Amino acid sequence: MKHLKLLGMLVLLLGAALPAAAQEKLVVSIWGGSWRDLVAETAAKKFTADTGVAVEFITGGTIDRLNKAKLAKGSPEADINFTTSHVGWLYATDDLYETLDLAKIPNAANLVPEARISPYHLGTWAYVYTIGYRPDLVKDIKFESWNDLWKPEMKGKLASPDFDPSHLMVVAALLSGGDAASWQKGQDKMKALKPSFKAFYTNDANSQQLIASGETPVQVILSMNAHYMMSQGVPIQLVIPKEGAVLGIDTIAIFKGSKKSELAYKFINTMLDPAIQSEAAKMKKASPVVTNAKLDPEVAKLPGVFTTPEQWKSQAIIVDHKLRGEKTGEWRKWFAENIMN
Amino acid sequence: MKTRPFLAAFVTPAALCAVGLVAAMAAILQYSVRAYIPGSLEPGGYTLSNFVALMKPLYLRVFIDTAWICLLTAFATLIAGYPIAYALVQAKRPFVKGLILIIVVTPLFLGEVVRTYSWVIVLGNTGFINSLLLKLGLIASPIQFMFTTFGVVLALVHVTLPVMVIMLAAALAHIDPAYERAAASLGASPLRGFLTVTLPLSAPGIIAGVTTAFAWTFSAFATPQLIGGGRVNMVSNLVYQLGFASFNFPFAAALSVAGLAMTFALLGLIRLGTRRFENVGQH
Repeated sequence: MKHLKLLGMLVLLLGAALPAAAQEKLVVSIWGGSWRDLVAETAAKKFTADTGVAVEFITGGTIDRLNKAKLAKGSPEADINFTTSHVGWLYATDDLYETLDLAKIPNAANLVPEARISPYHLGTWAYVYTIGYRPDLVKDIKFESWNDLWKPEMKGKLASPDFDPSHLMVVAALLSGGDAASWQKGQDKMKALKPSFKAFYTNDANSQQLIASGETPVQVILSMNAHYMMSQGVPIQLVIPKEGAVLGIDTIAIFKGSKKSELAYKFINTMLDPAIQSEAAKMKKASPVVTNAKLDPEVAKLPGVFTTPEQWKSQAIIVDHKLRGEKTGEWRKWFAENIMN
Repeated sequence: MKTRPFLAAFVTPAALCAVGLVAAMAAILQYSVRAYIPGSLEPGGYTLSNFVALMKPLYLRVFIDTAWICLLTAFATLIAGYPIAYALVQAKRPFVKGLILIIVVTPLFLGEVVRTYSWVIVLGNTGFINSLLLKLGLIASPIQFMFTTFGVVLALVHVTLPVMVIMLAAALAHIDPAYERAAASLGASPLRGFLTVTLPLSAPGIIAGVTTAFAWTFSAFATPQLIGGGRVNMVSNLVYQLGFASFNFPFAAALSVAGLAMTFALLGLIRLGTRRFENVGQH
């Protein structure tokens, strides 16, 4: 009986110890919803299968996670961070990111030049913000150029993101002979766009709801959102204007102070694996960021999905990511003061 | 004097919460007088420039709009809530009382975002109200409810209604029915009895409800953000637009401090203006 008790205790102890060993995990900070699912079902799944290490996600909005990372500087809550390229620069300039050793990320050798954002963060997938409209509701306007948003027929039809005006600000500057650095050249052009605005959307869900209901039949829209809504049966036409669409890249980085940087490197390498890139591109209708990803032809032909150097060059308006990070505050303030209010 | 050793243990959680709240307020205050450095998360040196920037007509207008929306919401909630509270108090059958109470407090159990999205569906061009009016042939084209002050106030009334009803019901329940009976025995009609007896005696509840609804609405965010669509902005939306979406935390903090000061000032004014009604009905 005594021996049985001893055996029982040993089994209990082993039972407690085994999960502890299996509990080794890599913590990833990312947006919630479909973004978390995208990484969970692609890179995280393969990473766990390859290493036996579980992936835990901390989710939150861009700003929430930025604030939390700032507060936890030096002893981060997560090992890996996903965020937009220009926001990534804010992390980097605040010394929150590790300088990446690309030798530990073999798949980074295949990165497209546009995804080599900085020594601290690399692109993981790309998309565009461009003109999306409901052809069933907007029959009298043909969209070929960004200039078409300024047509009088556009009055009270347009919505754009309230959290990031950089797309339209840069476009207005380009159409006025300037660029992102000399954005002031586009100020008058931007002000002339005011009558076209019906509303400003506050997040992806809000954008989708407003275009699905027809409340704002024309949007400066995230390509991936437009493709998703199309898959749900909402008739949306996505246009790549002749001047190009504004490129966005979501990025990956390792938090400075992570105690699992070797695993974190493996995770980044998995994220840039060509098969994972193809899978992610298929799920989100995004552009892969490695040249050796084989894309489903049905996905590759979609507007806003770039697979050739020519497409990256001719169809994308690329705003310097660091400049965009630095200017976001100024642009946002100007936009709120002069366009929204 | 008796010592109460358990008191310290009871007070500790509240004291810890208070310390956290004071620390957060101190951080906001400190941020509000720091300079914004573009491209950096760290604020710069001490400055009053954030408060100077608030003097722009644009910001003053948003503050005035906010106060106006709060006032409209508070009074619309009072008008909508009073009959419900009255019915709740007057109802004789417990089932009816319970039903009214459940209907009234249901909005409190819904998340703010879910509740607001429901209103988006109701108020949209293809939403419930417009579809119904179009089907009935009462309108030829949809009425624009979304992105208007009316739409925002309507959704905000839904949020504040439970609190208003509960406060009014508490005040109405404390009115001695003998007063109304005395008025009736002296020949007052039910309407006159209500207007000259019940309504004045419920003044403390009205003041408490309006003040709470006003203060509560001042911090509304999701409702004006989603229903207002950037066209109807309140102070909290401005904090989000100019502070958090652009990483300009010092300016966001200055806006928050100014908003808080304005709330206190307006609540102080309301209290001053309603002081003489506060003791009505006390006996």
